[in-house]
Amino acid sequence: MAPLLDRRDLLAATGAWLLAWIGTPRALARPEQQAAFAAAYKDSDGRFGVALLADDGTICARVALPDRGHDIACDRAARRAVAFARRPGYFAVIFDLNRRAEPVTIQAAPGRHFFGHGVFSPDGRLLYATENDFEAARGLIGVYDATDGFRRVGEFDTHGMDPHELLLMPDGRTLAVANGGIETHPDFGRAKLNLATMRPSLVFLDRIHGTLVEKHRLAADLHQLSIRHMAIDGAGRCWFGCQYEGATGDAPPLVGLARPGDAIRLLDLPGKAWAGFGNYVGSVACNRVTDRVAVTSPRGNLLATFDAASGRLVGRKRLNEVCGLAAQAGGFFATTGTGDIRPARGAPGHVNLVWDNHVLRLDG
Amino acid sequence: MIRPLVLALCLGLALPATAFGEPAPAVAIARAAIDAVIRPGYARLQTAAETLEKDVRALCDAPGPAQLETARAAFRDTALAWASIEMVGFGPVRAQNRLERILFWPDRRGIGLRQVQAILATRDDTATDAAALAQKSVAVQGLGALDYVLYGTGAEELAGADGFRCRYGAAIGANLAKIAADITAGWADNDGIAGQLAEPGPDNALFRDQSEALGEVTDMLIHGLEQLRDVRLNGFLGETPDKDRPKRALLWRAGLTVATIRANLDGLRDLFDKAGFADHLAAEDRWIAASIRFEFAQADGALSDVPERIADTLADAQAREKLAFVRVVSSSLSQLVSEHLTAAYGLTAGFSSLDGD
Repeated sequence: MAPLLDRRDLLAATGAWLLAWIGTPRALARPEQQAAFAAAYKDSDGRFGVALLADDGTICARVALPDRGHDIACDRAARRAVAFARRPGYFAVIFDLNRRAEPVTIQAAPGRHFFGHGVFSPDGRLLYATENDFEAARGLIGVYDATDGFRRVGEFDTHGMDPHELLLMPDGRTLAVANGGIETHPDFGRAKLNLATMRPSLVFLDRIHGTLVEKHRLAADLHQLSIRHMAIDGAGRCWFGCQYEGATGDAPPLVGLARPGDAIRLLDLPGKAWAGFGNYVGSVACNRVTDRVAVTSPRGNLLATFDAASGRLVGRKRLNEVCGLAAQAGGFFATTGTGDIRPARGAPGHVNLVWDNHVLRLDG
Repeated sequence: MIRPLVLALCLGLALPATAFGEPAPAVAIARAAIDAVIRPGYARLQTAAETLEKDVRALCDAPGPAQLETARAAFRDTALAWASIEMVGFGPVRAQNRLERILFWPDRRGIGLRQVQAILATRDDTATDAAALAQKSVAVQGLGALDYVLYGTGAEELAGADGFRCRYGAAIGANLAKIAADITAGWADNDGIAGQLAEPGPDNALFRDQSEALGEVTDMLIHGLEQLRDVRLNGFLGETPDKDRPKRALLWRAGLTVATIRANLDGLRDLFDKAGFADHLAAEDRWIAASIRFEFAQADGALSDVPERIADTLADAQAREKLAFVRVVSSSLSQLVSEHLTAAYGLTAGFSSLDGD
């Protein structure tokens, strides 16, 4: 495959968008303000970026983005991260967590766009991104060589449409991919083109060979339950959160579990508990120390916590437009569309930013 | 600035009514949207679809040019009735794939078109029975399919003696009338979505406070404008004329592309006006309502005299420019609603909860 962009192009693209670090000078970053989380935002002037946040929610630094971002992938060893454009998006911005270099932008390949999520290989050499081959409505994983200017070196099939979040399983080799099942095409913005026939799945892929390991589907009568976000618990199980495209009042289960070798299953909750989630889960996180799983619903204005071992609902917190979520000592760190920052412990914060859907933990 | 009442609403205080016994603004807006926009809108769709069924059956019984003209006029009325209410993206229209069964579009890969052509080519008799048709692909049972039946290749046979194509068309009409009746019935039920939207509260599973109910109504404006621009206009209107794709325009065969866009705008403006979004704004926010009305009027004025056939519109530089202008206006409207109107009512614009991310 021909290199997508050479270094000169990368520099040109970067220059055109005037990407740069914003805000606090490097010298002011104190050790206790080491960045622990990253999240995409929109500011009050409508500009987009990624913020790095300390454990207590203080913003340590900001990186400008050319347009709206979504999730972030992190190579923790090299202390660098990649912010992906929200779907249908065409850029990814690579930035150094220690601010040793200016951010660099790469573009999606012709005929492809990013879906907003990605993950590094354990050694940090390769970056995997969920992408759309939009003419064929085919889900892809795009593979980028992080040692060579993030050159696109290959792609493989996700065996479903609309791959959204992807995660690396604890074996370091298997990718878990949530195929949301919804056909979109950039000619029609974010319009959903196949709701009557959509067929989401959760697949496990071998990242070395690019092959399908297992494909899991929910029951046929839940074909409008789009599987979109995931987190992996301490037992190596993949928890997933869904968004329902069917009738408003149906309120099906929105959280489930999958693992290679096991049947996929959805969590039962007593009574009408799922009705409070607005048919929409926006983020999933696992805290492997407390053995808790949390999901957020910005439509239901709800942060719900489950006991990972039993699957029991153990907590529900009303939080306006909560979506961003990451594990933190003692619980979960959350952000909201209204600018709130809620660390697991300590005082809540508020900034004049609108937080996007996801928070990435940078240190583990 | 936010009025104290709405501010209280933002803080999550349950305020079922003001001291004067009037419902709070959010509830008043939700109730007006139901009674003055949604229910009458679906009732109009039902009436139009029932007339459509009747008129297509009359064409089948006595084929001829006049009857074909009548049936086509009924199709136009039904399509416009739908366009004026299609911003309602929740409730009964979302059950049983009703939205896609009324209008499966865009049919980007031509799958629906091929399915309709196959029904016509094989003379699939099960497609002439509305109940059996309702079990088929969503793409063969609604307005898009009927556009092809009434105007597509071979439509001239409708005025002649061959009845299959006509009977398929009548079944589509009956199917649309049934779907519209089911939606109307769903909204008529005060124990259903209408009651939930009109009475938000802690025991209400869908709308637990007033801002959630108001948010749902406001989302109709936001998503309706987004769909107008991203799907209805950008679907065929390129950045430059060489990128235009007239055959990807909605209902281009019937020449209803621009008329449906106008009906979309009419429906959205009606929702803004009749739900009373302007009536509860503080003095310093009233410019928002004035600006929204100004933009709607701009769009309507621009579309008032463009040619019906979209290929003609696109070929005429001045007419095409009017469509491009409406695209700009729809973006302005989106910004006015999703940033300013929502802020005035103490809502955030659903930045993180916009669909499917």
